[in-house]
Amino acid sequence: MTAQRHAEIFALVQNNIYEVLPDVEGREIKPGDRLTDLGANSVDRAEIVMLAMEALSLHIQRVELSGVKNVGELVDALYAKSHGQ
Amino acid sequence: MNVFGGSAFLDVMQLISHRRLDSARFENLLMRQKAVALPCEDPVTFGVNAAKPIVDALPEAEKDRIELLITCTESGIDFGKSLSTYVHHYLGLSRNCRLLEIKNACYSGTAGFQMAVNFVLSQASPGAKALVVTTDISRFTVVEGGDALTEDWSFAEPSSGAGATAMLISDTPHIFQVDVGANGYYGHEVMDTCRPTAESEAGDADLSLMSYLDCCEQTFLEYQRRVADVDYRDSFQYLAFHTPFGGMVKGAHRTMMRKTTKSRREDIEADFERRVSPGLRYCQRTGNIMGGTVFLSLAGTIDNARFDTAQRIGVFSYGSGCCSEFYSGVATPDGQRRLRAMEISRHLDDRHSLSIEEYERLLTGKGAVAFGTRNWKLDESHVPGQVQASGPKGRLILERIHEFHREYRWN
Repeated sequence: MTAQRHAEIFALVQNNIYEVLPDVEGREIKPGDRLTDLGANSVDRAEIVMLAMEALSLHIQRVELSGVKNVGELVDALYAKSHGQ
Repeated sequence: MNVFGGSAFLDVMQLISHRRLDSARFENLLMRQKAVALPCEDPVTFGVNAAKPIVDALPEAEKDRIELLITCTESGIDFGKSLSTYVHHYLGLSRNCRLLEIKNACYSGTAGFQMAVNFVLSQASPGAKALVVTTDISRFTVVEGGDALTEDWSFAEPSSGAGATAMLISDTPHIFQVDVGANGYYGHEVMDTCRPTAESEAGDADLSLMSYLDCCEQTFLEYQRRVADVDYRDSFQYLAFHTPFGGMVKGAHRTMMRKTTKSRREDIEADFERRVSPGLRYCQRTGNIMGGTVFLSLAGTIDNARFDTAQRIGVFSYGSGCCSEFYSGVATPDGQRRLRAMEISRHLDDRHSLSIEEYERLLTGKGAVAFGTRNWKLDESHVPGQVQASGPKGRLILERIHEFHREYRWN
C-alpha cells in the first residue's frame, strides 16, 4: 500500500463527501470520522461510496464495501479492492 | 387488484421527533405515515380485508374458478398452518383449490405473483384463476445489541408499516398485463435484514441498501439479456419499486439513470417526478408493507399516473436474504378506471390517526397477540370507533384464539 495512492483515494472520498453533504464542505475530514456523524443518512452514505467506486472504475458488487465503520476504513477498503484484494 | 392499508396510522415526523431522532437526516427520506396493526388485527384480517372486495364482485361461477390461493408473507402465525387456510375460509372460496404460503422477505409477493401467472400460462387448468394475497405487519421491537446491527436501525421503526394487497390473476387481465418472459431475476445469500425471532427484526441498514442497489442493476441487466432493444428511460413510461422508504427509491432511480442513460442531474430529477413518484403515493401512506410493497407501488402508479393510452410499467422487486426481479407489464385506461373503483385513496384517508400515546400503548403489547398464543379474547375497548363503523359489510377482525385456533368475526 503506497502512502501516496492511499492519500489520493482519501482526497477523492473527501471530495465525494463534500459533494453529497454540502454543509460539510471545507471541513477537514479525519480517518476516524463516521459518515453518520457528518450528517449522512443511509442513502447519502451509499451515494458517497458509489461516487468513489465510479471514480476508481471499481466494478465490484456494492455489498463488498459494506461493513466499514468510518472514512478511514472506507478508504482502506477502496484501496484494497482497487488493487485486486 | 386491491389494497388494505390498515385501520390506523401514525404520522412519521411526529414519531421521529418523539424519539429525538435527527429530523434533518430524515427529511429527504420521503416518509410520511406508517400503518399500525390494532390488537384486533393480524395478517389474516389484513389479507381478507384486501381480497374481499375483489371476490365479492365476482359472479359465483367465476369465484368458483379460483383454484390457487397463495398468501405471501413474512408475518406467519404458525410454522405449518398457512394463512391461506383462514383466508380461504373467510372468503368462502371453492374447496377445489390449492392453498399455500410463500416466504422470502419482501420478495414474497412477486414470488406468489409469478407462480400465479405461470399457473395461468401453463393452461394446466384452462379458465382457472389464482388469488395472490400479500400480507405483512410489523410488531416492532428491535433485537438488543449484536455486532452486525447498525445504530441507524432506528430508522427502521419509522419506515416499517402494515398492509395487504390482493390480486386476482387470470387469462383476462384488466389491470395489468405482464410481458411474458420478460423477467430478470437475481438472488444469492446475504445477511442484510431478517426476522430471526417471533417478535422482532434485525438488520444492517447499509448492507441492505447496497444489496438493493446491486440487485437493481443486476436484475435489469438480466432483463436486457432476455428482451431486445430495452432502454431504462424509453421502454417504460412508469417505474414501480419495492419501497422500504421513498428516499431509497429516489436514490436507486438516480443510480440506475446515471449508469444506464448517463443523464444529467436535472433530467434525472424530472424523470423521477414523472415516472417514479406516482408509485410512491400509497407507499408513503403505509410505510414498508414487506411482501406487498412493490404491488402497493404498482397500484399507486396505476391509480395516480396518466393513462390516456396504454402504458408500460417496469417493476423492481427486492427481498432481503436476498432475491430480486425486474419485470414489466402494460396498464390501460380501462384498468385505471377499474382500480380507481376500489377507492384505495379514500380508504387510506378514512383511517384513524393515532396519537403518540395510543401508539406507545400498542407497542407495549396492550392486548396485542404474541406469536404462539394459545388462548386469547379481544378486549373490545381496544377497537377504536373508526373500526366499528367501517364499510357496508364491515371488516374482518380477530375476536378470539381458542387452543391456538384463530376465530374472527365481521365487525
